[in-house]
Parts: sequence; C-alpha cells; structure tokens
Amino acid sequence: MIVQLLGLFGRRLVVAIPILLIVSALVFVVLRVLPVDPAAMSMPPNATQAEIELKRQEMGLDRPLPEQYAIWLGRTVRGDLGASIHFRRAVSSLIAETLPATVELALLAMLIAAGLGFAGGLLLFHLRGTWRGEAADLGSTVLMSAPDFLWGLMFILAFGVLWPLLPFTGRLASSFARPVHTGFLLLDTLIEGRPDMFLDALKHMILPATALGLAFSVPIMRVLRSTLFEVEQADYIRQARLRGVSESRILLRHALKNAILPTLTLMGVQFGFLFGGTLLIEVIYSYPGLGNLMVDAVRNADLPIIQAVALAYAAVVLIINIVVDGLYLVLNPRLRSAR
Amino acid sequence: MNTSVLAAENLAVESRLREGRRLPVLAGISFTLEAGKVLGLVGESGAGKSMIGRAVAQLLPPGFAVAGGALAFAGRDLVGMATQERRALLGREIAFIPQEPLSALNPVMTIGAQFGEHLARLGISSEARQREEARAMLEAVHLPRATELLRQFPHELSGGMCQRVLIAMAFASKPKLVIADEPTTALDATIQARIIALMDEMRHAYGASLLFITHDLRLAANFCDEILVLYAGRAVEKGEARELLSAPLHPYTRCLQLAVPSLSAPARELFTLPGEMPGLTTLQTLAGCRFAPRCPNAGEICRKEEPKLLAAAQGGEAACFRTELTLKIKTGDQAAPAMPKITAPLLLVEKIQKRYRSRHGLFGKTEVLAIDEVSFALAENEFVGVVGESGSGKSTLAKLIIGLEPPSAGRIELCGSDALDRSETARRRRIETAQMVFQDPQSALNPRRRVASIVTQVLEAAAPRLPPDERKRRAAELLAEVGLSAELAARYPSQLSGGQKQRVNIARALCAAPKLLIADEIVSGLDVSVQAQLIALLRRLRSELSFALLFISHDLAVVRKLCERVLVMRHGKVVEQGNTKDVFGAPQHPYTRELLAASGG
Amino acid sequence: MSSRPVKKALGFLRSGRVLVGAALVGIVLFSALFAPILAPHDPQEQNLVATLVPPVWSVDGDPTYLLGTDSLGRDVLSRLLHGARVAMTVAVLASLGAMLVGATLAHLGGYFGGKLDWLIGRAVDVWMSFPPVVLSLVLMTGLGAGISSVILAIVLVDWTRFCRVLRAEVLVTRHQDYVAAARLVGFSHWRTLTREILPATLPLLITLLSIEMGIAVIVEAILSFVGMSVGANQSAWGQMIADARQTIYESGWNLLLPMLAIFFTVLGFNLLGDGLRRTLDPRLLQAREL
Repeated sequence: MIVQLLGLFGRRLVVAIPILLIVSALVFVVLRVLPVDPAAMSMPPNATQAEIELKRQEMGLDRPLPEQYAIWLGRTVRGDLGASIHFRRAVSSLIAETLPATVELALLAMLIAAGLGFAGGLLLFHLRGTWRGEAADLGSTVLMSAPDFLWGLMFILAFGVLWPLLPFTGRLASSFARPVHTGFLLLDTLIEGRPDMFLDALKHMILPATALGLAFSVPIMRVLRSTLFEVEQADYIRQARLRGVSESRILLRHALKNAILPTLTLMGVQFGFLFGGTLLIEVIYSYPGLGNLMVDAVRNADLPIIQAVALAYAAVVLIINIVVDGLYLVLNPRLRSAR
Repeated sequence: MNTSVLAAENLAVESRLREGRRLPVLAGISFTLEAGKVLGLVGESGAGKSMIGRAVAQLLPPGFAVAGGALAFAGRDLVGMATQERRALLGREIAFIPQEPLSALNPVMTIGAQFGEHLARLGISSEARQREEARAMLEAVHLPRATELLRQFPHELSGGMCQRVLIAMAFASKPKLVIADEPTTALDATIQARIIALMDEMRHAYGASLLFITHDLRLAANFCDEILVLYAGRAVEKGEARELLSAPLHPYTRCLQLAVPSLSAPARELFTLPGEMPGLTTLQTLAGCRFAPRCPNAGEICRKEEPKLLAAAQGGEAACFRTELTLKIKTGDQAAPAMPKITAPLLLVEKIQKRYRSRHGLFGKTEVLAIDEVSFALAENEFVGVVGESGSGKSTLAKLIIGLEPPSAGRIELCGSDALDRSETARRRRIETAQMVFQDPQSALNPRRRVASIVTQVLEAAAPRLPPDERKRRAAELLAEVGLSAELAARYPSQLSGGQKQRVNIARALCAAPKLLIADEIVSGLDVSVQAQLIALLRRLRSELSFALLFISHDLAVVRKLCERVLVMRHGKVVEQGNTKDVFGAPQHPYTRELLAASGG
Repeated sequence: MSSRPVKKALGFLRSGRVLVGAALVGIVLFSALFAPILAPHDPQEQNLVATLVPPVWSVDGDPTYLLGTDSLGRDVLSRLLHGARVAMTVAVLASLGAMLVGATLAHLGGYFGGKLDWLIGRAVDVWMSFPPVVLSLVLMTGLGAGISSVILAIVLVDWTRFCRVLRAEVLVTRHQDYVAAARLVGFSHWRTLTREILPATLPLLITLLSIEMGIAVIVEAILSFVGMSVGANQSAWGQMIADARQTIYESGWNLLLPMLAIFFTVLGFNLLGDGLRRTLDPRLLQAREL
C-alpha cells in the first residue's frame, strides 16, 4: 500500500508541475494586460517620464512577454519571487509570514466542515422518510444559500458586537508578543509553553473557522446523505441484514465505509473552494494571511505579490487534491489491488 | 414430532400504496418444508416468489407487508415475532444465498473481515479461531488457496467464487433452513451446474432444508423434492418435483414446460403463451382464474370463479377447474427449416482481431485480445447463432461487424463492399444493409421518445422532411409487424413491459429493411413465455421479410431452436462452427461438450 | 396515456420548492426591473443631517427612510433596490455565458472523446487548481473594475462548474445503447448530440443554471465588497456591506439588510434549482452536488 501511495504521489506531482507552470503563465499574461503601469505606481508621483521609463527597463517591463515570463520563472525556481512594489520587501518573506496563518485557518475550517458534514449527513440519513427528515433536508438547502462570508459577517454581528463573546480581529490579542517558530500560531504557542496564549489564538480562530467550516459542511452532508441512500439499496447491505447483522453495525461498518468514497471526492473539490474562501474571511476578520495580502496587492496593483500569492493558492489546492486522492486510494481497495 | 422447518398457511402479502390503497401481491400461499428436504418455488418475474423468501426475514421491499396468514419456522411464528428475536435467527438458524453474488459482498471489506464478522456473531470471538473456522468452511466449498482468499476483496474474485464464499458463510452456522433466491441466474452455465451441485452437497452434509426460488422449471425439477408453482401471486400447482414436470396438472405449468426450448428432445415448436402476466393493478379488475385470459383451456367457469388449490386424483395439487385438459395442450413438431440457398455471402469476416489496452496498477499496461482471428461467412437469409459464456467476445464481435468499434486487424465485407470504410457514403449504405438489436432494452430505447418516434428513427435521419402523417403510418406498420397494438405508438418506453420493449427494439432495426440483423442476447433476462414469443416472432418475420440474422446468445437451446448454423466462441476465438444439428449433436471441441453438458443437453 | 406532460406540469406546480424559489427570484427580479420607480429616493442622494437613521420599526425610525440611512445619509431601501439591478444583471448574463461555454465544451468533449476531451479535461484541471475567488480577483486585476468585467470574470471562472458536472452526465448518456442505436440508424453527430444527448442532459443543465445564478450573485457581492465591481456612483449589495462594516457598532441593520438581500436571492435560486431537479428528472442522482 505504501508503495502504491508513493507511486500515486509521484504521478500526481508529475502532473501538478505542468499545471503550476500553466497556471503561472496564465496569471502572468492576465496581469500584463493590466491598464495601470506598475512602474509608474512604484515611483513617487513627481517622477519624470524618463525616470519612469528607466524604472520600466529596470523591472524588465519593456521586453517581450515570453521573455519576461522566462526571466520571472527562472527567478521563481531559484526561490526569488521579486520584491513588492508597495511594501518594498521580498515577496517570498511576505508569503512565508502569511501562508502558515492561512493554512492553519483553512485546516481548522476543514476539520469543522468534515465533522459537521459527517454528523449532519448521518443525521439527515437517520431522519429519512419522516417529516423531520424533509424539514432537515429543506433546512440544508437554506443553509447552503448562505455563503461563507455572510456567515462570517453574521458571526461578527452576533458574537462580536451584539453579544461580545469572542474576538473578531487579527490572530492574537495585542497584549501578547507573537512567538515565531513555525508560523502556525497554535503550534508556536504550544512550543512556547503558553496555554493562555494558545487559548487566545484559538479564540481568534473560532469565528472565522466556524464560518468557513459551516458553509462548506452543507454540501458534504448532502452528498453523504444521498450516497448513503444509494448504498442502502445495495445487495451487500441486504445480505448483511439477512445474516442478522445489527442495524448500527450495518450503518457504521458496512454502509458508511462505502459512502465515504464519493463523499471524499466531493470533499477534495470543496476543500479547494474552502481554501479560496479564506480570502474573504481573512479580509472580514482582518486576519493577517494570504487573503489580506492578496487584496491589498490587488488594490495597489502590486504585481509581484499577486503573481506569487495566486501561485501559492494554486499550489495548496493541488496539494489538497493529492492528499485527498491518497486517502481515496487508502480507503478504496478496488483501486489498490492490481489483479 | 413436528418435522416441518418452514410452514406457510394462507400467507398473504400486500403492497400498500400512498393513497391508502392496498393491492394484494400474494394470497393463499400454503406449503410445508420438511426437515432435510428441498422445496422449489417456481414462477416468472412478478409472480411473487421472492416475496416469500423476504417475508421469512420480514425484509420486504418498502411499501410491502405481510397482510395475513401464518409463516412458521420450526413451529415458531415468524410474522408476529419480535424483531430482536427474528434477528437472532437470521444468519444462525436461517441463512440466505443471494442472487447476485458479486454485489452481495461488501466491496470495501476483505472476505476475511466479512466472514470474521459473521463468525463473531456466531460466538467465535478469537480472531485466530475465526480465521481457522473460515478457512475450514472455504475448503468445504472447494475453494482453493483459502488462506490467501481471506485477505482478498470481493472484486478480486469471480462470480462463481463469490457465490461459493456466500454458500460457505450460509452453512457456517449449521442452519436448519437455507433460502436460495435464484442463486445461479447471474452465473454462466458451466458454473451454474457446479454451484447447484455444491448446494446439494452442502445441504446433505449439514442436514439443512432448502427453499429454492427460481424461474427455471426444469432446474427446479432436477434439484427439488417438491415444487410450488406460482402465477400472479397465487399458488397454481404443487407436487412432487419429477411428477410435476412429466405430467403437469395446471395448464400454466404445462405451457411453461412447452415454452422452454430443449437441447435434447426432438425439435418441436415452442408453445407461445399469448400476452404477459398481468400487473398488480390489472389483477384487481380480473374476475375468475388469474390465468384464464392466457389459458388455452379456459372455459366459462374459469372467467367467473377463482379455482382453489385442490388435490388431484393422481397426486399433487392444482388450482384449476379443468385439469383433465392440461396434457392435451401440445405443440407440433417443428418443420425443418428450409435451408436457404447459399448465394454470394452477405457478410464476410476475415481474421478480425480486437485488442483492448487497459492500465492497471502503477505502470502496468495489459493488452487483452477480445477477438482473436475470427473468420466466418454468412449468406443471405441465413440464421447463424454465436454461443459462448460471458467474456468470450460475442458482444465485441457484434460491435465490430456493425461498425460501433473498429477492429484492430482483419477485414469485414458486407454485401461485397468493405465494411470498414469510414466515409459518410459508406456509412449510409451500411445503414440499409445491417442493423442491430441491442441487448438491454432499458438502455437501447431513449426514455424521452415515444414508441412511434423510436421505431421510425431511420426515417428521421434519412428523410427529415417526411410529413408526420407518413411517419405515423410507417410506425403503425412496423408495430403491427412485430405484433404490438397500434395504441402503444404514443407511449414512452417506461410504460412498456420487457417483452414489448424488445419488440420495439426489433421494429426500429426493421425500419431500414436491412439484409442483416445482428441481435445481441435479445431474449436473455426475459421470462420464458416472453422468450418463446420473441423466438416465434423472429421466425415469422424471417418468412415474411427475408433477412439474415446473427444471433448472439449464451442459451444453446434457444440457438438450436432458431439458427441453422452456430459458432462456438471462447476467449475471443471461434472454437467450433458448423450446422447447429452437427455441432450440438456431435460436438467436436471439448469446450462445446462442456457447454452442452452444463446446459443440460 | 398522453397525460405525461400534464402530470409533469402538475408535479411542477405542486413542488413547493419551485414555487417558493420562483417567488423569491420573481420579487428580486421585479425590484431590479422597476427600481427607479419603486425607490423612494435617489440611491446616491446624501442627507448628512440624517445619517445612520435606524429602520422605521425602531424607536428612532423615520418614515421617510423605511429601512433607514447609511453613514452618508443615503436611503438604504433605495440602495437595496438599485443593488438588485446590479445583482440580477450579473446573475443572468454571467451564468448564461458560463453555461454557454461550459455546456458546449462538456458536450463536445464528452461526446467525441479523444484528444479534444483530454484537452478540455486538462483545462478544467488547471482552472480547478485555482480557488474561484482568487482567480476572479486576478482576472479583475487584469480586466479592471466595472460590471462588464465582473460578468466576464465570472464566465471565465465558472464555466468549469458546468463543464465538470455536465461532462460526466454526457458520458453516462453517451454509453447508453440508444445513442449507439441512433448512429446506427443514420443520425449525424450533430443530430445525435441535439436529439439524443441534449434532452437527457437538459434537466441537469437547467438546474445548474439556476444554482449558478445564485453563485454569480455571491461573486458579484464579493467583488463589490472589495471594491472591484461597480463604481462609487452605483450601489451594489457587497459595497453596502463594506460601507456598513465601518459603522457596525452604530448600526447593525445597515449590515444585516444587504446580507439578507443576498441570502434570500441565493436561496431563491437554490430552491428553484433544487426543486427543478426533483421535478424535471427524479432519476437524477442527488450525488451530483456541486
């Protein structure tokens, strides 16, 4: 199994690299048709035309597009993502600061989404055929109509303003000095041995992560529910009943194991969307992650950052997909065995 | 001492519809299964035979329920029994063998895990002892490499192996009663015979009684001690198995017997029972005997009163007022088919091959030779059968000839021109030369088209501007030709029965007036009475329309009935071909002999 | 039994989801179409002496401003009504565009298979490796702000939603024997696609279209929230949310009202889509969630 997993990862990486190349090229082209001139933006307003032109040459903006891309790619491979026009800092260090924050938030949200999704799916399945089931089903359609950022705003309004229970800006109360080890705050506070700080960091993450997780749990529960419906019709379930296997065992050992597979496929897609959802949630919660960096960069037409952050998002999504595929392989014996 | 293992007394099952309406599905079913005996429940689809098996476990499909009567297991009432108590019996004293072995095992659990779960329930808690016991059981059902097998998943096993595993699990608890619902229907003929032999061996070894549910009267007669024949939810005949087959009392049993083509008996016409078993709703309005509308012996009384199952003088019981007429139902000897004049060959297949590439594992690629150097010719107006088991390449052959897939090598000639020509004009020409009738009418008929539109699809493509009246007229013609009433023209496929769908399927192919018809397993999966109707239809059409037929089937007896010549295929190769009489009468190839033996020839 | 279409139509009406969904969408559409007539004020008109007036049901409510005013003293109701115009324009045009691109590619790829299908599949892979929000932000950066850019960005991002789901459906249909039978009776590829395959995929297509309209409303709201959609001289729901965030402690209603507008519009489209799926084709597997 391990050999097969490694093989899968290897094959997926081989596919992922050209995808990342195409992604970066696409972003590159899109950003170069920009109506604003990044060279002009990076200069003080009183700069002369000649100075701007000089800057353009310095930034390589006067060369043909493929050449610009080749230069950018060459630098990126070496780990040099250029310098931010606005922040006047290396883009790589900006990303190194923000990426862990976003990944940490997304992981917590995924955990919440998967937990709620599975619990909700089992509940919907359990209530099938009753009026409660119909109501719960309708309820899930209603829930699905509230996108993540509406949940985010709602939570701020409810638990931040009307009934101030939890903080809703940043990652940590300003009274704490943020420890930096891995960039993952929950981990860093533990390394530091500060449970109080850990708790505060967790408190800051609860609202944004729940908003994200809640929004993305609904499709998961609906798919789990309908897959369970399908699996329940299967011959092997009937045969297990005829063998006298108890209902709870049939649901948890026989049906769920099979229903997980299609659900997992959907979760791969959903988690990709969820990771994108962090962007707006971060803006709403002033959470210093990739999303805020991206939105700031877009407002300032800070091309090197946009370029790099977009690539970072794509890379994380590809990794999520690979992990989900790996899980699928582990859980599905039909893929595993070579006959 | 009460030796009855399973006893039904006036058992009734009904379907409860949403609006509070109730339709009886089964009524007045009584039987007794003695210890150590085999009772066969025989009937066509929709007769209600599976409901009895399911009623034992009280696992009827949603909306169905036992409405009356008694069902007792070893003297204990099963209907009123508490769920907990019944579940305690299931898998311990009452075991089930399913219809579809491949899908009856959980695909994500190993054989060992499923067997272990079952044994744990039987009280064997240590895993080592579970493994030991499972291995012993797998060896008892003659499965080789038992230890390895326990680590495998169901998809790594063949259908026959899966069924052996399920049989092993069924007998592991030494049950008093085993219920087998069409346990061999999904399997190939040669494997069928072995599974039946295995079940016989196991029930003797473990002293279990067997309730054997099947549509196959002859199989039941061979395997069972006693048979109960069901028709439209009623028991129509009950009797000792061999007697029931040799001298049936009920006309329905007699018709069934005469509708099944035989491999050994002298060629005689098949009895074609008109119509089909009425559906639940139609039955409500039917007075008198349920079989009367189709019965060749029906008289005045049969349409007024419903007959009861009564003992007859010569032994056995039948629900019929006129049992004395039953054996008078006869069919004539089959006229020897006029051997067609062998003209220039219509279809010429020369050394065709088909390779499929499949990826598996990490980097592994395998090539499967689905068709391996097949050559044959087919003359105008000739009926040729292709027989073989699943995976022998029969269906692939059909696809290659009709042009749905290109062969990897070889030549195919239709009417003297190259059938592999991909040009549009060649395609148009081929449409008028060869047509295909597909196996699965469910998938072959667009559910969104009406029957009239389906059967005249050829016109839609060839003459899109044809006035609708003209098309309607042609549709009516075609429907009449395949023996369907004109009122079906406006229906959707979902509103047709299986036999009707297959007729529509044939009508569509006939619309182009083809010289060659390719039919892929078009009677498999249909009830014998419907199957006999379709065979009669093809033979009638042949005399009226003149076309050649390439008839693909796993059923040797049907091919014998219909075709002058036959090709026997195995692993993509034609192992034997010749006149049907010669091949089936004096088979040369060992595989043909094996097939014939398995088909009970 | 020629009552099938009649029965279908009845089932249609009986389905509460379709009715409620259609009603919600109808209300929003009506507001969008007649916003200039319905709106009591000019949505841009500022009244700096009456800022942050609460809705009329609050103690300090003012009947001239039924739903209150924002921090610049603009009438919230009028802004909501005009915001519906933006939302519905984007919803209709963007989802139709995305459907056209996605459905065409899905049908061509799924039906013909081969290299074309491979190419489309890889393009979808590339697109799916971007979270939609990120891709639309990148596109908006390239295209520049404005409502037509929003529409174009949504089409360019969301065609994959149609393509992915429909292609699977086309493949299922393509392997039905009746499609092979149609070819065998002489149907051209075009006729086979339009007469045999499209009718089978249409229920799913309509459902997806309805759901996509909801998604387009959300994306427009997101983009106007970060200031990439309409300019300051027009009102959009996302923009109203962004403005109201600044005064969240003074007036929760300002934030809540545009959120409710978005929620009910999306709910309408989702109910419509969900109901249509149930009524148009009950056999459609529910597993094909988005």
